[in-house]
Amino acid sequence: MKFRTPVSSILLMALFIGCAGREPTPGVTDTEILIGNIQDLSGPMKELGMALPHGANLYFNYINDKGGIHGRQIRMTMEDHQYNPQKAVAAAKKLIEQDQVFCLYQVIGTSPCEAIRSLLEENEIPLIAPATQSGTMSDRSRTGWKYIFHTDTGYDKQANILVDYAYEQNAEAKVAVLYQDDDYGANVLKGIAEAEARHGVTVQKEAFQRGATDFAGQVMNLNKGGATHVIIGGVVREPIIAMKTAAAMGYAPQFLGISPTMDHRVALGSGEAGEGFIAANFAQLYNSDVEGAKLYRKLFAASGTDPKVMGMYNFYGFMTAMILVEGLERAGKRLTRDGLIKAMEGIKDFDGKGVFPGISYGPNDRAGTDAVVLVINEGGKQRIISDWIE
Amino acid sequence: MKGRYADENLKWIAPLILLVILLPFLLRGATFSYRYYLYVLNIAGIYTILAVGLDVLSGYTGLVSLGHAGFLAIGAYTSAILVDQAGVPFGLSLIITPLITGLFGIVVGFPALRISGMYLGLTTMGFGFIVRRLIIALRTWTEGSAGLEVTKPLLFGFTFNSDWDNYFLVYTFVILVIVSIRRVMKSKVGRALMAIRDSEHAAQAAGVNLTRYKLFAFFLSAVLAGLAGVLFAHTMRFISTDHFDILLSIYFIIMVLVGGVGTVYGAVVGTLFIVLLDFLAIPIFKDWLGSFVAVEVADIQSLIFGLIMFLFIIFQPMGLYGMWLKMRIYWKLFPFNPKKRFT
Amino acid sequence: MADLTVENLKMHFSGVVALDGVSLEVKEGEIFSLVGPNGSGKTTLFNCISGFVTPLRGTIQYGDKDILCIPPHRIIDVGISRTFQNLQNIPYMTVLDNVLLGNHSGIGNRETVRRWISQRQRKIEETTALEVLDFLGLANYEQRYLSGQPYGIQKLVEIARALVSRPKLILIDEPAAGMNDQETMEIAKIIREIRDDLGVTVLVVEHDMSLVMAVSDRVCVLDSGTVVTIGEPAEVKAHPDVISAFLGEAAVA
Repeated sequence: MKFRTPVSSILLMALFIGCAGREPTPGVTDTEILIGNIQDLSGPMKELGMALPHGANLYFNYINDKGGIHGRQIRMTMEDHQYNPQKAVAAAKKLIEQDQVFCLYQVIGTSPCEAIRSLLEENEIPLIAPATQSGTMSDRSRTGWKYIFHTDTGYDKQANILVDYAYEQNAEAKVAVLYQDDDYGANVLKGIAEAEARHGVTVQKEAFQRGATDFAGQVMNLNKGGATHVIIGGVVREPIIAMKTAAAMGYAPQFLGISPTMDHRVALGSGEAGEGFIAANFAQLYNSDVEGAKLYRKLFAASGTDPKVMGMYNFYGFMTAMILVEGLERAGKRLTRDGLIKAMEGIKDFDGKGVFPGISYGPNDRAGTDAVVLVINEGGKQRIISDWIE
Repeated sequence: MKGRYADENLKWIAPLILLVILLPFLLRGATFSYRYYLYVLNIAGIYTILAVGLDVLSGYTGLVSLGHAGFLAIGAYTSAILVDQAGVPFGLSLIITPLITGLFGIVVGFPALRISGMYLGLTTMGFGFIVRRLIIALRTWTEGSAGLEVTKPLLFGFTFNSDWDNYFLVYTFVILVIVSIRRVMKSKVGRALMAIRDSEHAAQAAGVNLTRYKLFAFFLSAVLAGLAGVLFAHTMRFISTDHFDILLSIYFIIMVLVGGVGTVYGAVVGTLFIVLLDFLAIPIFKDWLGSFVAVEVADIQSLIFGLIMFLFIIFQPMGLYGMWLKMRIYWKLFPFNPKKRFT
Repeated sequence: MADLTVENLKMHFSGVVALDGVSLEVKEGEIFSLVGPNGSGKTTLFNCISGFVTPLRGTIQYGDKDILCIPPHRIIDVGISRTFQNLQNIPYMTVLDNVLLGNHSGIGNRETVRRWISQRQRKIEETTALEVLDFLGLANYEQRYLSGQPYGIQKLVEIARALVSRPKLILIDEPAAGMNDQETMEIAKIIREIRDDLGVTVLVVEHDMSLVMAVSDRVCVLDSGTVVTIGEPAEVKAHPDVISAFLGEAAVA
């Protein structure tokens, strides 16, 4: 056999070039897709850090049991960032370079997500469903926007919708906002400013610090200002204290909350003071009757996990997993990172078995949805009182 | 007499520099995820500069600071604003920003003229909180707690694009800082600072102006923290208030304590040890532990750090002399005026 | 003439009288001793001279300068240095660095910058310190850390630190405390040499009467903040008040 002929050399070269052209995508083999997840497993938000990936894995396992995506099983590897942006970058580098993940999914926290933007851009790695509702995630003026697919309705949009809702209920309403003095609150204020311009009104603004326990001053000011509707941009503990303080002072406006206050602990913890409290949420509740929620409850029961884990955050992991799976399905058999981005951009009105209002992306659109449902607290039980509002 | 001038020669510096230069090449040869390790080393280098500064203040001079993350934040934000918003070149910011941070150091140093020990620790801790609040309040420039994107370092027309480039930038400064601070500490300034730590009266009798030198210690320490801040902002390329919390300040103290207070090399070794432990060793240990222990192992980080500090304080008293001895005296006399009585 | 003149010095510590109208004069070139029981105000007088405490009343003049208004860290610039009763050394610095500390004000800022850049300045600085160490018989100790050195060595390092700035007057606080007879004799020799060879006026506080009697040109006896007597050793020894008050057996022996 003679291989050292010009013809065979050219053939060999062609083979090499062909191979180089079909360089395998990192994290993708014939049988597996490896995705990376960065959670807070030992920092201030570690409760969420445990609940989110558990919910996501419920759905991934469900898909894997059905044969996976185009014959590939989904496997998720996790890193801990302790809610420290610097560690988030280290974790992302490790996932990208050492573990060679295909894409990132559900990195939790605004500042950790912001910190890894430039990394996403340099490595051209998509980040699907960052676990934060900050409107900055889908801001196209920022580095690496192309690689971030945000699912949730931004705080600014939510604030906007809540102001509209207040005026719908009562044309004479006086709206006020009680916001946490940080990036979250700043994002809420951005929405409030837009609503002010549209309605031609001025909204009374009261700030508080994260971790504050005394709201007497703010509540007194709100009462003095005569606010009938108070939008609370807080998380869990502070809104409870604020509502209880108001009740104790005999001041009873309609309280409206941005989605973090949708946590059932707010409904339970605020007692009588929180009766009738209305919170916005960008998805259906885990205990509602839509198909997605039913599937979630079924899979959860089958997994035999401690029932205490069940709840809003666990379900949040579950529902965002549906979006990632939808994107991977659409990207087809020849999976590349660029292919995933194109496929995600093709998603239109994806409702995730009724859970979402309709998630849509486009070549220049990274905000999944702008809609919310309103959830009312009735004696510690939460009930949806509206359709999707945009 | 022979050997009298032997201790300050450069015989350690040459192999050290060689190692620093060779390390990235060795890493690249050894592992394909070398950029991740370089990133961790860059963090270690930046923290080394700060830790040397903290050592000047707390180790040499005996003035405890629990607010050094605040100085780091001032340096980082000042440089980000100067370079990206005021159009100051990065090279100039490397000089201006540390000086501005140094001025903040002097301001924070004023309470140290009257108080020391635990009270000073609390005051500086308060300073750290104030800086965070200030960053949030100055939203126009800092974008509040949403965080600020920062441009890459650009020096003499060369852009430092990657962790590889940044490594050489950061470690150039690390070596410069080590060499020059060691020299300062061997001169009359270093002697004066150590005298303040161990005996204010001996210092005064020798002609040391306590006010000036205490403020100078704060200034120098803040200058180094400011320099670390500049490098931090432009190599990390994103800064936010979440970076600079109180835990970071405590983390710095642990670095200095573990390395041995009152020695420049101690601060360097301590920093490398703690950062590598934090980023590389503990995660591996956690995975390994988590693979067969069902309990929650996430909090093991603080446990390990606590244990390390404890062991070092017991078994490494030489290096820990200054701060530890002073701390012990302050704890003993705690509710009363802890100033040593002069007899 | 650079004499030290103390006049009518009064000092109280929370109601306790430490100095009650003390007046004395230390002439240039003499070895002057202060003796007295504990609490008689010797160290307080030292602290007044070196500026650590400010007396309620009275004046202290050195030459023609009023040194009461000078802050403690400038006293050395006038030409007065001191040692301490309790060792005030820097344990984790070498003997040489401890001595060099004493020359702090003798090294200017420009020299410090030069020192930062080149090694030559270092040599210049260290030469004086090494001379003083040789003078006190501490050669070969200079590279050792002070921590762990014997007490006698540490005492000598303190004296070296006070001498390196080339003062005109040195205040030595209890140099022989905690020393055996042989070491005390060594100290006596050193004190004499400081005056004879270096031409430094010495003001010394001491309990050990044998040392005081051996070296002093004049002795001042203090009790409860007042001067009992001032005079030459032999006179003081014979003074009836002194004998009855506290010298007792030491004086007889």
